[in-house]
Amino acid sequence: MNRGWIRWSGLAGLVLLAVGTWIGLFVAPAERHMGDVQRIMYVHVPSAWVAMVCYTTAFVFAIVSLWSGRRVWDDRLVGAVEVGAVLNALLLIQGSLWGRATWGVWWDWDVRLTTSLVMLLLFAGVLALRRLADDEGRRASWSAVATIVAYVDVPLVYFCVRWWRSLHQVQSSPDTVDPAMVVPLRLNAIGLLLVAIWMASRRRRIEGARREAESAAPPARVASEEVARA
Amino acid sequence: MKLARQAWLIFRKDLLLEWRGRARTVSVILFGIVTLVLFSFALGPEAEPLRRGAAGFLTLALLLSSVLGLNESFRLEQEDRALDGLLLRPVEPTALFYGKAMGSAFLLLLLAVVLLPAAVVLYDLSPTPGGMLRLLGLWALAAAGLAAPGTLYAAITGRLQSQDVALPLLLFPLVVPVLLGSVKAMDLVLTGDPMRQLQSWTLLLAGFDAIYWSVCGVLFPFAIEES
Amino acid sequence: MPEGVIAGGWSYVIAAYGITTTVLVLYVVSLFKRSSAAREVSDGR
Repeated sequence: MNRGWIRWSGLAGLVLLAVGTWIGLFVAPAERHMGDVQRIMYVHVPSAWVAMVCYTTAFVFAIVSLWSGRRVWDDRLVGAVEVGAVLNALLLIQGSLWGRATWGVWWDWDVRLTTSLVMLLLFAGVLALRRLADDEGRRASWSAVATIVAYVDVPLVYFCVRWWRSLHQVQSSPDTVDPAMVVPLRLNAIGLLLVAIWMASRRRRIEGARREAESAAPPARVASEEVARA
Repeated sequence: MKLARQAWLIFRKDLLLEWRGRARTVSVILFGIVTLVLFSFALGPEAEPLRRGAAGFLTLALLLSSVLGLNESFRLEQEDRALDGLLLRPVEPTALFYGKAMGSAFLLLLLAVVLLPAAVVLYDLSPTPGGMLRLLGLWALAAAGLAAPGTLYAAITGRLQSQDVALPLLLFPLVVPVLLGSVKAMDLVLTGDPMRQLQSWTLLLAGFDAIYWSVCGVLFPFAIEES
Repeated sequence: MPEGVIAGGWSYVIAAYGITTTVLVLYVVSLFKRSSAAREVSDGR
């Protein structure tokens, strides 16, 4: 991927986010019942959407990584999972603040937020696994395996949490959107996606450089270690 | 079919080894009972909260005990690099997976024989004989749901330094559907099912099992391959 | 459910946007720092 292209996409994303946030905070009308609190949605919904895009991309990268065996796909996977996890964590915080403002509770086991919580634990686990694994060769296949297993679980978790909650009063996060609110929502969604692509790309390059540094242990250093030990 | 035969042989070998060293299996069962008792201390001594929470306590006891069993399932092979030996002989990695997973599932099922009666006593439950059979069936589905991803992860974490914490860390979020399904279904069996929801939860558990017994079987060779 | 408007709530909105911005900025900074660290390692050989 052309580095310049990525940098421009990151900057473009930043601009879109700035514009979208400005509109969302100051221009768009306040929601009928929720008032200004609803403005959290302009960052919460895009975060959720882009996080899912990241995880889905990671899933695809994982399959390709196992199929091709080429390490570069593992680098890409790390970028996607890590950025997805950051956004996932953010969306939980935003959702909790929203819930506190509207329902008075910090957490109420809302179906989507609960699924997001389990998702974060699953993908944070993938990242933790990478930290714990020092064998570089296996780390790639293990990350891919764990990512696939985690992603397949997400719809299962969603459905079973939904059934779990279905007997109780469902306090769902809002998803009906007034037409006047679509513009900032879309701007922020695309902006955040572009920024996420930039971040994931940077993370990929870091991982690639780290991998190369790890695998190319200079022979001179090994020999001098042996001399020192003798 | 060669795969099935290999899987069966591995299953038999593991069970035989487990029988020979059955002190370990007994310890896991005792651990399960200890867990059930701990829940009583945490939430008792009033009978009502215990009765209402019984399905949850049983499922959690199963979950916690499973980690002990799963951590072991590849430890035998770690010694003397026996796993590599197994793979050098023409054993299909997939057969190895299914054999090991069946072994783990079977041992978890064995737990039910002791833990279900223990729960009946400790939590003052009164299930019908049909109810007990249904609980056993649900336990089997839950055990299978834990065994498949658990075996896959055990093969991975068995090679890590911090394997003891890595396995539950990876497994527990994954098996949330098994947890919810098992608790909800068992609760319906124990406290009544006026809206006939038991079938849905049973199907959820069966669906999870079907998905993960196939997905993990496909992924297992990648998990144990040499780089 | 009573018809009404939730008064205020701007503090929650500010908190949400503030935390989001802060976390993203910190993450980007960490990316830059890790980037240069990785480059140093590969340059140093």
